[in-house]
Amino acid sequence: MRRADRTTGIILLIFSLILMDASRRMPPSATFGPGAGFLPFWLGALMAILSVLLIVQAFRRPATPVEKPAFPSGKALVAVGEAVAGLALYILLLETLGFLVGTGLLTAYLLGVVEREEWRTTILVAVLNSVGLYFVFGHLLGVSLPRNMFGF
Amino acid sequence: MDVFQHILLGFQVALSVQNLFFCFVGVTIGTLIGVLPGIGPVTGVAILIPITFGMHATTAIITMAGVYYGAMYGGSTTSILINVPGESASVMTTLDGYQMARQGRAGPALGMAACSSFIAGTFAVIMLTLIASPLADYALSFGPPEYFALTFMGLTLVTSLSGESMLKGIVSGVFGLILACVGIDAVSGEERFTFGNIYLLDGFGFIGVAVGLFAVAEVLVNLEEPLKQVFVKTELKLRTLFPNRQDWRDCLGPIGRSAILGFFVGVLPGAGATIASFLSYATEKKLSKHPEKFGTGIIEGVAAPEGANNAAAGGAMVPLLTLGIPGSGTTAVLLGALLIHGLRPGPLLFQSSPDFVWGVIASMYIGNVMLLILNLPLVGLFASMLRVPYRILMPLIITISAVGVFATENNIFDMWVMFGFGIVGYLMRKLDFPPAPAVLALVLGPLLERSLRQSLTISHGDLSIFFTRPIAAVLTIGALVSLFSPVFRAVWESTRTPGKEARP
Repeated sequence: MRRADRTTGIILLIFSLILMDASRRMPPSATFGPGAGFLPFWLGALMAILSVLLIVQAFRRPATPVEKPAFPSGKALVAVGEAVAGLALYILLLETLGFLVGTGLLTAYLLGVVEREEWRTTILVAVLNSVGLYFVFGHLLGVSLPRNMFGF
Repeated sequence: MDVFQHILLGFQVALSVQNLFFCFVGVTIGTLIGVLPGIGPVTGVAILIPITFGMHATTAIITMAGVYYGAMYGGSTTSILINVPGESASVMTTLDGYQMARQGRAGPALGMAACSSFIAGTFAVIMLTLIASPLADYALSFGPPEYFALTFMGLTLVTSLSGESMLKGIVSGVFGLILACVGIDAVSGEERFTFGNIYLLDGFGFIGVAVGLFAVAEVLVNLEEPLKQVFVKTELKLRTLFPNRQDWRDCLGPIGRSAILGFFVGVLPGAGATIASFLSYATEKKLSKHPEKFGTGIIEGVAAPEGANNAAAGGAMVPLLTLGIPGSGTTAVLLGALLIHGLRPGPLLFQSSPDFVWGVIASMYIGNVMLLILNLPLVGLFASMLRVPYRILMPLIITISAVGVFATENNIFDMWVMFGFGIVGYLMRKLDFPPAPAVLALVLGPLLERSLRQSLTISHGDLSIFFTRPIAAVLTIGALVSLFSPVFRAVWESTRTPGKEARP
């Protein structure tokens, strides 16, 4: 956690300096009183102080003999990565595939590939889920869900 | 109008067929969410916002409030039967609840959890009924400095109470405030940090951020290691659920104390049901004649935290409705829902929409009765839901979240916001940054900024305005004390240690 905190602190520090710079360029208030850049500037300053504290704290804390890594490795990390990639692809292709197909595929992928569920359950859950959501949102709640070129 | 007339008006609203039905739907979903580990009340309420979008505002909030306090009931079932808290406010219930189940007393543990929840929950609603109106009247005199001080105090309290490291809590809160700055500045009309993206003119969509930080991030964390569920075999017939006379004698004191303690912890902006259950368990252990028995499966250890978390859920509605200041992650999401329905919680709400306020309050009486009935005879049914493997639940949570986020504004951009904040939320959890302060700050940010800038305009830039007006001064000093004093930290530590000792 020490190394992770240090890295987080440095990233936050850079982020807050950029934020302060951007806020300083905002025009001052037309009347008297603080303008648009007032709060973001001071929040940036506060964040800068906090990130320095975070870095200092990470350095001052004694190193524990067994450092528990903050992030998983191996199989667990693969599962998280697969889920994130699947979701990104789903959002990207939603308007091409249409809601019904896209959601069915995402469900099947998450269940069959990421979770390694057996294929019969996977297909059953995927079909029920996408049709169910299509019915509830598209039909009962009247949301115009994305459709593919064939109209579903 | 006096309290009696108010609440009569409320029952007229809450007893309509539609509101009764959705109150029932809300508490049932709440119980389910409470029972299922890996999905908490924040996620549940956030996903429901888009679904309740087309409803009347009163019905929508009745449903979502039902999910909130319903989850407090359901959480205990999981804690007792499989030693995994169904949601964070039930962590303390695992200590004695699971031990009772192993000794074959799962029935009385579940029964007492439901009864204690009902008694304390109803007590909290009665207090809410009595306190809300006078407090709202009092708050009418608040100007921008008071509102700034109040919001500031809410934020500092939630950051200082919400996690292992107070520093990380504050970072999370400041991060949320920075996010709240994105979009058109309400005071000057200036665009801020929109990077030319038209979807960002209104700022980050609140639902996308909340669903990402909670639902998606929760799923990602749970993907790493599958929950191990060890079921205690038990027969859950109605007659085995009733605690015996000795159990009641042991529990009456703890239930009463936990109701009072839980309610006041809930009223404090910034402290929610989880902290209430910790404090209540610690208090009972200190007051008990046999503190060494806590953690071995005694019924007080179930009654106290379950009573406290329900009372806190009721108490948390006080600052939300009267001041528009949420006290926890879930009430922050509720506030977001209110704003989406065009209601601005605060003292004026009691005058402009009394039917809404009292309708919601009255529905909480009804909802608690429904929950008692749901949780006593039907607890076996809910417990059997635990046999549905989390594997199957995971894709459902992701897809419902995605379509829900899409449905609010009908655009794909909000799904990307959800995606991005899902990853941010995952990283925050892995690095021990609590996500609740960020969501709270995102909701409160606009109010905080407007009141701050209005105050400074009134005072011509002089910060002393926050210290010269009596109410503002008390609140500001309170906030500064909570920010700088390690006392709160010490309280937090001392309530955490018993949990660590008792766990094997």
